[in-house]
Amino acid sequence: MTIEVERYLAVGAALFVLGALGFLTRRNLILMILSSELMLHGVSLTLVTFGRMHHSQEGQAFTIFILTVAACEAGLALSLVLALYQKSKTLDVEVWTNLREPDLPPPMLAEDRDEPALELPEAMRFPLLTPAGRAPQKSGSSDEVVGSNGASSSSHSRSERI
Amino acid sequence: MDWLIQNWLLVISLGLMGLGVWWLMPSSWPRSQAGGWLLTLVGGGLLASKLHVATGPLAESILFWIFSVAALLCAVLMITSRKPVYAALWFALVTFSTCGLFLLQSAPFLAAATIIVYAGAIIVTFLFVMMLAQQAGATVYDQRARQPLLATIVAFVLLGALLYTIKIWDAHRAVAAAEESRAMITTNELSRPAEDQPIGTMHGLGRSLFGDYLFAVELAGTLLLIASIGAIAMAPRRAEGTL
Repeated sequence: MTIEVERYLAVGAALFVLGALGFLTRRNLILMILSSELMLHGVSLTLVTFGRMHHSQEGQAFTIFILTVAACEAGLALSLVLALYQKSKTLDVEVWTNLREPDLPPPMLAEDRDEPALELPEAMRFPLLTPAGRAPQKSGSSDEVVGSNGASSSSHSRSERI
Repeated sequence: MDWLIQNWLLVISLGLMGLGVWWLMPSSWPRSQAGGWLLTLVGGGLLASKLHVATGPLAESILFWIFSVAALLCAVLMITSRKPVYAALWFALVTFSTCGLFLLQSAPFLAAATIIVYAGAIIVTFLFVMMLAQQAGATVYDQRARQPLLATIVAFVLLGALLYTIKIWDAHRAVAAAEESRAMITTNELSRPAEDQPIGTMHGLGRSLFGDYLFAVELAGTLLLIASIGAIAMAPRRAEGTL
């Protein structure tokens, strides 16, 4: 029985470590959860490898439970992310550092955290649409704010003006 | 010092890979991606030369290298990507490559289930949440890593420790011990695969799941129910009270 288990275990360990690295360095909440799923992939590969080495079903049965827990975790974590996004309007995890010990410094270096302006590369700059028309009038308020609205409301207000 | 001399290949390749991955991290000063990829690939190639075994069937070896290189490259691309949607798609590719490795490990049902659950459900959910919660354009927090140097050092020291443990772990002795302990793994006659039977068939896996782990399966079902109730309860609502 020739089974080269070491290399499968090495790939599993590398996947786990890359997931841990992503969890430590990413600041986007969604990508942190995605990195933890990557760690689960490494653990699954290791379990399946050990199951094949022992010639038993246990490793694969455990991996099915890992799948279940990963699905539960994704659902719960994503609803939490949505709730946090509704509160802070950002996915940055550095916003939620209130639970740390009060005498500890913030987990991010100051020069990285307080980035004043972001110089985006040319490929990531998106064109901005010029605002056209006027804002739809709400009931009771008659301020005429020029904003970007749908064509129907702007044409409607223009016809009113005419 | 002797330890370093004996394991110079492991140390050098891990150092190169760590430097390359750190180089690829999103950072405030622009650096070219090519240098990071060169360092990572050279380190990975040095490490792969240690892992290569000449014995065994050639087809499995070739497939193993294709899937594992694809999985690790896509994982590095995922954790260093500046765009979250791209990172989610790279994670889908990692899932496909891992399922290829599952197939090589005689787990066809598990590979199919993983593709269905991860690529079919989890990635799609992530993409939906990105659509719901992503700000327009690129954001600052996707362009800056948090403590990249310290995190890379910690991660690659951990990887070195794991790989060193795998290397000194005598596989033959472990397999022999496993042969002796096989009678004690499962007491259930029905779920124990015979010596000449393949493992991971749906028949055997079903026997194992619904024979040995029946209570765990029920618990997992309860966990799914509780998680779905919790997700509905926690999901933010609009002001009108509707979902």
